[in-house]
Amino acid sequence: MGNAWLRWALVVGAALAALGGGLYFGLGQRTEAPAPAAATGLMGLALPDPTGKEQRIDQWKGKVIVVNFWATWCAPCREEMPEFVKAQTEYGSKGLQFVGIAVDQADKVAQFEKEIGLNYPSLVGGFGAMELSKTLGNKLMALPFTVIVDRQGAIVHTQLGVLKPEKLAQVVKQFL
Amino acid sequence: MRRSGVAGLLLAALLALPAVAAEPKLLPPEEAFRFSARALDENTIEARFAVATGYYLYRDKMRFAVTPEAAALAAPQLPAGKSKEDQFFGKVETYRGDVVVKLAIRGGAAGQSVVLAADSQGCADQGVCYPPTIQKVTLVLPAAGKGPGPLVDAFPPKKRWFN
Repeated sequence: MGNAWLRWALVVGAALAALGGGLYFGLGQRTEAPAPAAATGLMGLALPDPTGKEQRIDQWKGKVIVVNFWATWCAPCREEMPEFVKAQTEYGSKGLQFVGIAVDQADKVAQFEKEIGLNYPSLVGGFGAMELSKTLGNKLMALPFTVIVDRQGAIVHTQLGVLKPEKLAQVVKQFL
Repeated sequence: MRRSGVAGLLLAALLALPAVAAEPKLLPPEEAFRFSARALDENTIEARFAVATGYYLYRDKMRFAVTPEAAALAAPQLPAGKSKEDQFFGKVETYRGDVVVKLAIRGGAAGQSVVLAADSQGCADQGVCYPPTIQKVTLVLPAAGKGPGPLVDAFPPKKRWFN
């Protein structure tokens, strides 16, 4: 009798915990926990850099990868990127690799790279990149959107909106 | 002892809820920048954006087009926006609240059905931008003297259970 009650309580408790988690991801910033298949899709992605040379994301496998979806027309994106440049300098030697995916045109990407002295690659995704970010949890397809991938290629954090330096450091340090 | 474990699990589930409130909620672009339009007469369309509080549109990203092209939309007179000095874009004009734009049609005929497409781009104050979004409405141009046609919503608001 007592055991049956306990079993039900456990089931309900687990369901509530799952609901809590679901709400957290579902409503929080309208980002959802990406499925493992989404991580595979991201790692297998190949996009041109601004010079037109194709770059595969999995060339950085084994590092902690911060994939940042951005655009030159997105002011908050431009605002946070100088912080990413600093973080790349600080943590690069420890195995951190930033990769930008621009929802934009190659010439505009190249110009902005020069402007802020970008020290990590930014690939050119066009609007197809928005669709990809949707599979990674960016339901509203808004920018900036950032995905952190651990050394094993699993997604460990997604962020819609500006990723503050403190938050970035807190997440990244766990996996470096 | 085991019961306290269950209680702990329930507590953890409940504690997860306040975290939701702390995170910003965002509207989809068609709700943040609700577009509607009506035909005032056979030569004029009134286009409207109802920009939700906490969101804004860029004036220089706003474009309109009609099909069929023979209806010949004249270059729109966009109202002045609120000027702000952007760190990156220099002086930009933005719209908040209601934006009303009168569009002149040169080749329209009474009773003709036209599709008005509005291209807009905006952001939320929370620090998120939406890609350029196209919203469309279909309007029938009214005959002279008949008065304006009905206001047509690009994305009619969903029915809500509780109002």
